[in-house]
Amino acid sequence: MSRSSSRTSLAVVGAATALAVLTACGGSGDDTSAAGSDGKPVSITFWGWTKGSKEVVDAFNASHTNVKVVYEEIPSGNAGGYAKISNAVKAGNAPDLVSIEYPQLPEYVSQGALQDIGQYFTEDIRKKLLPQAVELTTLGGKNWAVPFDASPQSFYYRKDLFAKYGVEVPKTWDDFRKAAEKVKKADKKARIGTFFPDDPTTFQAMAWQAGAQWYKPEGDTWKVNTTDAATDKVADYWQGLLDDDLIRANASFSPEWTNSLKNGGTVGYLGAAWGAGVLKGTLPEQSGKWAVAPMPSWDGKPASGMLGGSTFAVTKDSKKAEAAVEFATWMSTTPEGIKARIESGTSSAFPAAASLRPVAKKAFDADFYGGEDIYRVFEDAATSIGPDWSWGPTTGTTNTTMKDQFGKVASGGTTVKEAVKAGHDATVAELKKRGLKVEDAG
Amino acid sequence: MKRARTTRAAAILLGPFFVLFTLAMVLPIGYAVWLSLFTEKQSGLGFGGTETVFSGLDNYTAALGDRAFREGFGVLLGYCLFYIPLLLVGALALALLLDSTLARARRFFQLALFLPHAVPGIIAALIWVYLYTPQLSPVVSAMESGGIGFDFFSPDGALPSVVNIALWEWLGYNMVIFYAALQAIDRSVLEAATVDGAGAWRIAIGIKVPLIRASVVMVALFTVIGSLQLFTEPLILNKGTGSAVSSTWTPNMYAYTAAFERNDYGLAAAASILLALTAALLSFVVTRFTGRKGKKA
Repeated sequence: MSRSSSRTSLAVVGAATALAVLTACGGSGDDTSAAGSDGKPVSITFWGWTKGSKEVVDAFNASHTNVKVVYEEIPSGNAGGYAKISNAVKAGNAPDLVSIEYPQLPEYVSQGALQDIGQYFTEDIRKKLLPQAVELTTLGGKNWAVPFDASPQSFYYRKDLFAKYGVEVPKTWDDFRKAAEKVKKADKKARIGTFFPDDPTTFQAMAWQAGAQWYKPEGDTWKVNTTDAATDKVADYWQGLLDDDLIRANASFSPEWTNSLKNGGTVGYLGAAWGAGVLKGTLPEQSGKWAVAPMPSWDGKPASGMLGGSTFAVTKDSKKAEAAVEFATWMSTTPEGIKARIESGTSSAFPAAASLRPVAKKAFDADFYGGEDIYRVFEDAATSIGPDWSWGPTTGTTNTTMKDQFGKVASGGTTVKEAVKAGHDATVAELKKRGLKVEDAG
Repeated sequence: MKRARTTRAAAILLGPFFVLFTLAMVLPIGYAVWLSLFTEKQSGLGFGGTETVFSGLDNYTAALGDRAFREGFGVLLGYCLFYIPLLLVGALALALLLDSTLARARRFFQLALFLPHAVPGIIAALIWVYLYTPQLSPVVSAMESGGIGFDFFSPDGALPSVVNIALWEWLGYNMVIFYAALQAIDRSVLEAATVDGAGAWRIAIGIKVPLIRASVVMVALFTVIGSLQLFTEPLILNKGTGSAVSSTWTPNMYAYTAAFERNDYGLAAAASILLALTAALLSFVVTRFTGRKGKKA
């Protein structure tokens, strides 16, 4: 038999176990509603993968007696975490709270995998958070998740090598290309950055920064346009860099990429705020050699998209939404929550809660960046995040298709522009298949 | 009375099998068929949840109408044409070598050749991904210094890359099957051939191979069915390498992607069933074809 059917059998077994678990939970579920009175803590499960999550959970459990969180680390979303969550929801044994990034949130909402948390995630809490982030978690007029971080784009570079090669930090994308040429000229094995064929979200953030708006809800119709002038400009630009061999094409966070960072073959990284912690954790021996700059922009003025960024959402069958939201809110909007995460040493998350950024800044050990005020850079970038972007309910289809095509770009099998167009067509087809109204503006 | 007892004994002994068979095979297949007949529809902007609607054979036509799904079968065909002859000839050659009088240290080679099979497929794929990765791999850098530039992750390199991993995993295993069959050949036949003046080469091709044809057919059949399920190795090449192996490279991967990245379980179920039907059809054809040939000879 094919493996898929053995997978299906797994799902059935999973469903059976889930039933057993559910019935078990049913019993304790009744207790939890009375948790306050008998003093027993409500126990919730939380699935996530973002850096520092375990430390945050430990800190929460140490300081709370009413709610107890059981944390399970799952693979990061694209590495299988999302499949695991979908499966668990389908089988009925999902945890109470899950990590979902902004781009994927609408997909989960449209699958009916999550529950509206509006009654617990109140206006008072929402006010504390970056409006763009709240906007991205408000879909169809309901609140589906507690935003955790805003992830403004930023450019990381080896300041020692930039100085050595006489390269100035690029302010515009034209500068960036010139800088890329200079780096290559100075060391023919070195490149300024990387095109990630496995990660369309990096490209999407670039398009967002350039002012594109791929999915636009108009009334009850999705207007889809991933081939507008802004996106084309970005696609052509990256195609040019690839054609002239000015950047690498490696999978994100792959051993290949890491290796080229370690040996100075890659001297820059176009990422987001959370990338600061990743670099620090990946390249401890290069401490003090890195710096952060704002993302280059098209006109030299600050501009940013958002690359990734996490939210916390409550799954549809959870009977402990209140406790789950309490914990999520604690992680996102209290100094203790932010501090616990950042002090883990591996997270450089930029909180969506503006008032907590000083806390994050203080907790982050910036020696790796020579003591640079990296949160200042993020702060400036965050204010310039384009407010118009929204994610559609078929991100899974869009991104899988684009990723498949991007894999062929580096070897000349297709172009960035064609890959984006393929993503567009797949998106429109998928929306139609689901019975939704689409205006194909591509 | 005795008969009743035998029936009861049979029921008791066969019972566990049928219970497991029903739970692990019949029910899941039934569930997959059921799933494949439904699709999830949404309304408005799609944020009001889903409604499961009976859609008849729509998922099947959608899968068959999807170029990516059809191309997956093309990849499988290319894979089979490339991989199966290499595997059969390679395993047979190794088994004959081991079986020949020339071989020394048989046990050692038998074990050494079989060893890769003891490595789980996923680990094997991870190891090979490392060996394929430019700048990291000693193999790639050795090839480059020898003037051979081959990109294992390019569209042209993807198929050879996967075939190579599969060969590495399965060559030794099939070699052992052939070797066991060869060992079972009546030595007097071989002695008679020697007395008649046949050389080692002639004995191998003219006598040994025909005598173990049943094993060759069995291995071929299992390999064809196994090839249809190609999944683990290309999935590893797809994830985290930025290679040209797409997420729908094989039909199994198509089903996986439909279910877990696009959340379309109906489509995934339909694709799986189409693949299973193909496998059933193919096994039927292969057994029929080889069976008849056997009778003629």
